[in-house]
Amino acid sequence: MHQQAQLRLKKDAVEKLGAEAYVVMALDTYRTKVFKEENWLLGGGTGPFGKETSIVYATPLSDPAGRASAIYGVSRRALRWGSWVENYPHWFVIDRKGIITYVLKPTFGTPTAYQDDVDNVIKELEKAAR
Amino acid sequence: MKRTVLIACLLLLAPTTQSAEPLSPIESYRKLDFPPQDENFEKGWKDRVAADYDVINLADLTSLRAALKDGDPFVRSIAAYALGVRSDKASADALAELVKNDKEYVVRIRAVEALALLKMKPEVIESAKKDHDPGVPFVAKLVAGQVNSEIDYAAQIRHAYAAGIDREAMGSAVVGKPAPDFTALTLDGKPFQLSSVLGKKPIAIYFAAFDG
Repeated sequence: MHQQAQLRLKKDAVEKLGAEAYVVMALDTYRTKVFKEENWLLGGGTGPFGKETSIVYATPLSDPAGRASAIYGVSRRALRWGSWVENYPHWFVIDRKGIITYVLKPTFGTPTAYQDDVDNVIKELEKAAR
Repeated sequence: MKRTVLIACLLLLAPTTQSAEPLSPIESYRKLDFPPQDENFEKGWKDRVAADYDVINLADLTSLRAALKDGDPFVRSIAAYALGVRSDKASADALAELVKNDKEYVVRIRAVEALALLKMKPEVIESAKKDHDPGVPFVAKLVAGQVNSEIDYAAQIRHAYAAGIDREAMGSAVVGKPAPDFTALTLDGKPFQLSSVLGKKPIAIYFAAFDG
């Protein structure tokens, strides 16, 4: 969720590049809609996204059987840290020729690691736009 | 002499090992080398995906219903979810029982999801919001609204699973190679094909978890 919130802060950069951003959830459309429209995880607090109701800028896509996730190699379907997890989150950047130029597996290593992750994605989108 | 030769020939023709019956989808799931435990998160995921598809697409309802009482919590979990996806309303009471009394939170999570897909037992989903394990109330809150929706989300999921999954295609997205195509749904349920935008503009795709 932080990754999407951070991307929203950078949406001008994405639009300037004429790029498209998608976020794929291995969930049905109902739950994907909740993800898009309700700020459950970061809302209400004092953090940078606490007062916002929707923090997802990318176009949401529902992948109800996790098929796209499996094709892209990010499906996990396992327990992790006390929850059931369908996917290990990953970024993919694709250039104007349809070639994958960059894959990022966020580490979630620090509380603000998402900032560097999204900066790296924007840099790679710049290269992909050339 | 003839009799001895005949017996020898029959012995030679007899199979030396019994040809094994193919495992049922539930048994295949039970025998996964890397069941969906935390420590297997990065291992054996392709097998788990394939096994999920087989259970949801192929397992018979009798086996799925029986599997709700299986000793393996992961078998109970996948059976619960599959019965929700298969819209098996006859399982509603058994699923509610799992939500209330199963000792494993992963089973309670999947049973809550199943009841929401069935659009049944909203009072049980409501009660799950007070479950002592945080993963269960989170899912209960997330899916509660499905009960009152006119959209058949179970059918949506069934349709997606029915497309099947090619094992060779799993994990085929690689840097330097063309992005594999996929089909997904927009929020209004319309199909989206990645190939409709590929090669036209730069694209960033984030495969997300709800909290990641």
